[in-house]
Amino acid sequence: MQTKPNPGFFKRNAPIAGEADAIERAKNGDPDAFSTLYALHKRRVYTLCLRMLGNVSEAEDMTQDAFLHLFRKLGSFRGESAFSTWLHRLTVNLVLMHLRKKGLQLVSLEETINPSEDDAPKRDFGSRDQALAGSVDRVTLERAVALLPPGYRMVFVLHDVEGFEHNEIATMLECSTGNSKSQLHKARLKLRELLRNPQALPPLNGAAESAAQNASVGQKVVAR
Amino acid sequence: MKDLASANLDHMTPEEFEAYLPELFEAGGGSISKDPRFANFFKAYPNCAALVADLETIAEQARSLFEPIHDPSDSVWSNIASKLQHGGGTDSDES
Repeated sequence: MQTKPNPGFFKRNAPIAGEADAIERAKNGDPDAFSTLYALHKRRVYTLCLRMLGNVSEAEDMTQDAFLHLFRKLGSFRGESAFSTWLHRLTVNLVLMHLRKKGLQLVSLEETINPSEDDAPKRDFGSRDQALAGSVDRVTLERAVALLPPGYRMVFVLHDVEGFEHNEIATMLECSTGNSKSQLHKARLKLRELLRNPQALPPLNGAAESAAQNASVGQKVVAR
Repeated sequence: MKDLASANLDHMTPEEFEAYLPELFEAGGGSISKDPRFANFFKAYPNCAALVADLETIAEQARSLFEPIHDPSDSVWSNIASKLQHGGGTDSDES
């Protein structure tokens, strides 16, 4: 089956004011312009690394690597996609390369990053009186995502959070689109299981937890 | 995961429905609960309706995570700036 383009993804990666100018100046070696690009994109790149790796120290190292890589590759950016989309891809590829070096063999996603029996979602349709609607906030979801097995977390973050299509994920993870869909489904089932008992979810590490809580408060204020 | 083309949407067991779910989510753009083709099925199997509603809630809430909220420490930029200053941004630095 062919995957449809996700219009939300492109809206969410709209160009940022001043970005195009900074890109051109940075391409010409202007250090201040590169610092502007860092300021504009550091949060997004770091948050992506943190979610994929689940570890602050590794996420900071990867953020550093991603921007050093960006510095080297900026000249090849032709503007065929949004800059943030391009930077996201670059970051995702670096994180995946890092994980492969660490021994997480994403190449054979089917076999190696499938979780153990204990981590896999239970076959349970559940009951209506435990519906999640209205009870899942950002902090709780962040906590649950952090507990997902790496393979599930990777596909969930790339598809449901970052907006990549299954065919793109399949290319990045070197697996089939069917496998990407199946992993995503299992990730959501596992999240459902975790979110049904939110009291049991451990808090994220200090800074990440307070950032998530502040963002959640901000969202509620905006919603009013 | 089963191929949606072979599905008999009028006569499915909950187990068959679950096997089609990954494809159904993809084909339905993430919204299955309001699809009239499944109205009778959901009436007959309310637990499947609950499952779908929960999975849709999770997928919907996941979009709120896109807005970045985590900041790297200041040392990240210091390290980048220092490496760039010392030529670490060149290709030869790549391991």
